[in-house]
Amino acid sequence: MTGLDFVSLDRAVAGDGFEPRLSSPLCRALEGSDRVLDLSFLGKIEVRGDVDAINGDLEVVRITPQRALVLCAPEEAAALRDRLPGMVIDMTAALAGLELHGVRTLRRLTDLDLDALPAVGRVADVPCLVLRNGDSFRLFFPQEYGHSVAEVVLDVLKGLE
Amino acid sequence: MTVDGVPNVRVCVEPVREGATVRAQNVLGSLDRDLLNVVDRIGGPFTPVGFYYRTMLRPRRLWPQYERVLRNLAGLGCLDKSGRRSGRYDVEHRRADVLVIGGGEAGVAAARAAAENSVGSVVLVDERAAPHIDGVETLAPARAIGFYEGGLVPVDAGNVLYRFRAGKVVVATGTVEQPLLFPGNDLVGVLLPQAVRRLVDDWALKPGDRGVIVSADGAGLDVVEQLRRAGVEIVEVVDLRESLPSTLAANGRRGRLESVTIEGRELACDLLVMSGGRQPAYSLLAQAGARVEYDARRGIFVPVDLPANVEAAGSVTETEPAAAPPPPSFDGGDAKGRCFVCICEDVTEKDVKRALAEGFDSLELAKRYTTVTMGPCQGRLCHLPSIRLYARETGSDEGAIGTTTARPPWAPVSLGLLAGRGLEPAKRTAIHHRHVELGATMMWTGAWRRPHSYGDAAGEARHVHEALGLIDVSTLGKLLVEGPDAAAFLELLYPNRFADMKVGRVRYGVLGSDAGRIMDDGTIGRIADDRFYVTTTSTGADTVIEWFDWWNAVWGMDVEVVNLTGALAAVNVAGPRSRELLGRLTDVDVSNEGIAYLDTKEAHVAGVPCLILRIGFVGELGYELHFASPYGEYLWDTLLERGKDLGIRPFGLEPQRILRLEKMHIIVGQDTDSESNVLEAGMPWIAKLDKDDFVGKWALEHVQARGFREQLVGFEMANGVVPAEGGQIVLDGRSAGRVTSARMSPHLGKAIGMAWVRPQLAVEDARIEIKVDGRLEAARVRLKPFFDPKGERLRA
Amino acid sequence: MSFLLPCPNCGPRDVDEFAYAGETTERPQGTPSPRELASYIHFRRNAAGVQREWWYHRFGCELWFLAERDTRTNEVLKTELPSTDAAGSPTPHEPATPDTPAV
Ligand SMILES: [Zn+2]
Repeated sequence: MTGLDFVSLDRAVAGDGFEPRLSSPLCRALEGSDRVLDLSFLGKIEVRGDVDAINGDLEVVRITPQRALVLCAPEEAAALRDRLPGMVIDMTAALAGLELHGVRTLRRLTDLDLDALPAVGRVADVPCLVLRNGDSFRLFFPQEYGHSVAEVVLDVLKGLE
Repeated sequence: MTVDGVPNVRVCVEPVREGATVRAQNVLGSLDRDLLNVVDRIGGPFTPVGFYYRTMLRPRRLWPQYERVLRNLAGLGCLDKSGRRSGRYDVEHRRADVLVIGGGEAGVAAARAAAENSVGSVVLVDERAAPHIDGVETLAPARAIGFYEGGLVPVDAGNVLYRFRAGKVVVATGTVEQPLLFPGNDLVGVLLPQAVRRLVDDWALKPGDRGVIVSADGAGLDVVEQLRRAGVEIVEVVDLRESLPSTLAANGRRGRLESVTIEGRELACDLLVMSGGRQPAYSLLAQAGARVEYDARRGIFVPVDLPANVEAAGSVTETEPAAAPPPPSFDGGDAKGRCFVCICEDVTEKDVKRALAEGFDSLELAKRYTTVTMGPCQGRLCHLPSIRLYARETGSDEGAIGTTTARPPWAPVSLGLLAGRGLEPAKRTAIHHRHVELGATMMWTGAWRRPHSYGDAAGEARHVHEALGLIDVSTLGKLLVEGPDAAAFLELLYPNRFADMKVGRVRYGVLGSDAGRIMDDGTIGRIADDRFYVTTTSTGADTVIEWFDWWNAVWGMDVEVVNLTGALAAVNVAGPRSRELLGRLTDVDVSNEGIAYLDTKEAHVAGVPCLILRIGFVGELGYELHFASPYGEYLWDTLLERGKDLGIRPFGLEPQRILRLEKMHIIVGQDTDSESNVLEAGMPWIAKLDKDDFVGKWALEHVQARGFREQLVGFEMANGVVPAEGGQIVLDGRSAGRVTSARMSPHLGKAIGMAWVRPQLAVEDARIEIKVDGRLEAARVRLKPFFDPKGERLRA
Repeated sequence: MSFLLPCPNCGPRDVDEFAYAGETTERPQGTPSPRELASYIHFRRNAAGVQREWWYHRFGCELWFLAERDTRTNEVLKTELPSTDAAGSPTPHEPATPDTPAV
């Protein structure tokens, strides 16, 4: 084992009586709500360096000219880590993810300009990356806040019922 | 009025609701037997303005009693101290191209024009129901409560606070009719024209049977029409522009109006409509940055020099002139009633004169002394009258006196709305729920929730020495420092040396500032030539990461700093049986040769890739495992399950604090403060003063040159009493230091601690005394760890 | 405070998204005299007017940048990323003491 395997989710091995399993910090807090989707296990690869050199059919979110996040399916993460340019760090475990709907919901969570997304900024009082597709929003934020953010999001949704 | 417990509700705009509890405010009992009247009558001369400040200043200990009575007398509503959050409040962040405040004629026209010119999104805010306008979003009933820097306009819509950032704000707040000042102007039955319009037009109520009207402008006189419609008999109409009576007073009984006396003529009536003309409601414009100046011709203050992106519409700037401003107050002849300047704060004309006589001749000072304009109406009804009064009494003009600053909120707003949701985001580790399920008592450390203990702190601590313990240390800050300059970067940031470190080794490091102060501590592992794994304290993690980034921004070295704090969970498996457990879960050699003390190695543990750090904060053989956080619950469960026969037991933060104290390991911020440096804190080996440069080097050199002023040492109590943290060290009757940490060590059976003492006491076995509950208790200074001073257990 | 601060990377944002880190200082070159050291560590200009100062976009892009702000009005005249030539660049100074013990 070399490098930074201990940061990645996809380097665990089953066998010898061990069955490593994942748990999301969000799943309990979401209480099975069907209005919010848990995106925590989506692959999130951070690239530092020349982010313009990233090529291929990838969802690349540029955070600064020297820093970007590449979003991918969990099973693509390993191959991407190998082929992306610059310094590559697997942030899949670091960031929890949520998908939710409604402009009004977002307005109750953040001061960010919803017409100028994606952006990183303050959402539900935590640092957050926000992406938008029509009426649907994806939020990525430090997983240790997962429970707190889920509570706030569910409460906001309740307030808009 | 208090409606459903909400104070300061204006009677004339609050619709009646089924089941609402309505109580009179500013009265005790009913109006007929208003107990405050007693105070008013006997208290007229007894409770003048500033009375509290002068009379009740001493004795200080009686203040709570005074305050209780005064709060009641002041009639400011009642706070339910045991109350919980009673309703839900939300904050909504909004943007608009044009925000129109005020839904009167001018506001509606401005909104309509903006919508027709399709300037983008247009929002209209009005206190009452505003009409529907095509292309305009209407928020009503809602009130803009202020204009803050950055163009922020919060709008109170009951249970939702809208925080508006608008491209352009149009203020169409109109005017506020001003009361006249005359004796008896607080009686029930004395109304402003606006109240009459609402009562008659909106609610179809007859405000009285016999009415007198005294007005300084035409708009005030126009209520004659409403009164006639409501069937009120008009007794007399006085147009102050044509004839100015020399005396004017209202007379009443039990707080209700019974007659009006005008120049000696007494007119029986139960309604007096009065108006001193209209004052532009410019507060929002002033808060936005407009200048306010006095227009002597019209006798009012007007906003001028509007800031960019702010417009005014309607009468807020263009008010028809009154022929002549009314006098600041009317002489009431020999009337008994009191002449109120400020109804909300119970300030009378006499109070204002008294304040002036006492030397409060500046308006800002007098405002604070008398509290005029500081009540719920925020000066709407008392600002202009009080300035007119000041001008007359000081013999100057209104323009020279100027205005006081009308700060937000412009309208009363409930504290619940301002507080909003009120949830502080908490950080939880990936193993959080396991702790809760195991019955841990959770506590806050910074933003983190952590287990204090699982019910038996002393037992948990002892168990780590005797067998095997497991603690969740995921809260540690975890950084990756990577790049060709990584070693050089850390050499500059830490007093320690790292250039000579071999790959696979770990070193304890203390981070300092250029002032030499200890900021944080942690371990630094070299996991590749150009890659270091740095841990920080739990509460210091964010500060350290920002600190690293900051210096990197300045130095521009070829190094990247990555925050892995949340990416990784971490546990410490500690105790004499920890090696055996680890050996069951991994293929790598876990012998003392395979993973030596202060080694770091990557390995699969129970199938999960981990970074293993062999370190010993708790003083026993132990391994920290750092791994991807989603495996937190799995690895925690597996360690407990596979270690069952070894007696594994989870331990919390409190037992960890006992264990580290036995080793005399410091906690930054607990044992150190803003004056502490590594030299005086007893860790001189950390500082490599022969390095060319590092942050804090010069300050540490200075400390060495000037000599130590105090030193951090351990102490052991003679008779097992645990002193309080912060307790005083006493030598020859004088203070000679302070206790920073103290605990009973269940393993050693002794009360131990750490303390800052004068250098002459920093000698092994020195006798000191520590104040505990007022008594002096004997103790001995210890310079070496209480437990395993040679570190043999750590290295075993 | 509710003014907007333009992050050089993200554009104008509510000031709450940022951490303020005080006016810029100059770290002495070579070994400073005690007076120079004290002045660097403890003394600030504390200008009532335009001040050059450090900000960190804590809730956003996590970049440190410099701002020129009028301390009387909170008007921000300019923001920029620091130049990365080490010589003569303004330096950080100590952040506030954390109020909870670090464990
Ligand atoms: Zn930014």
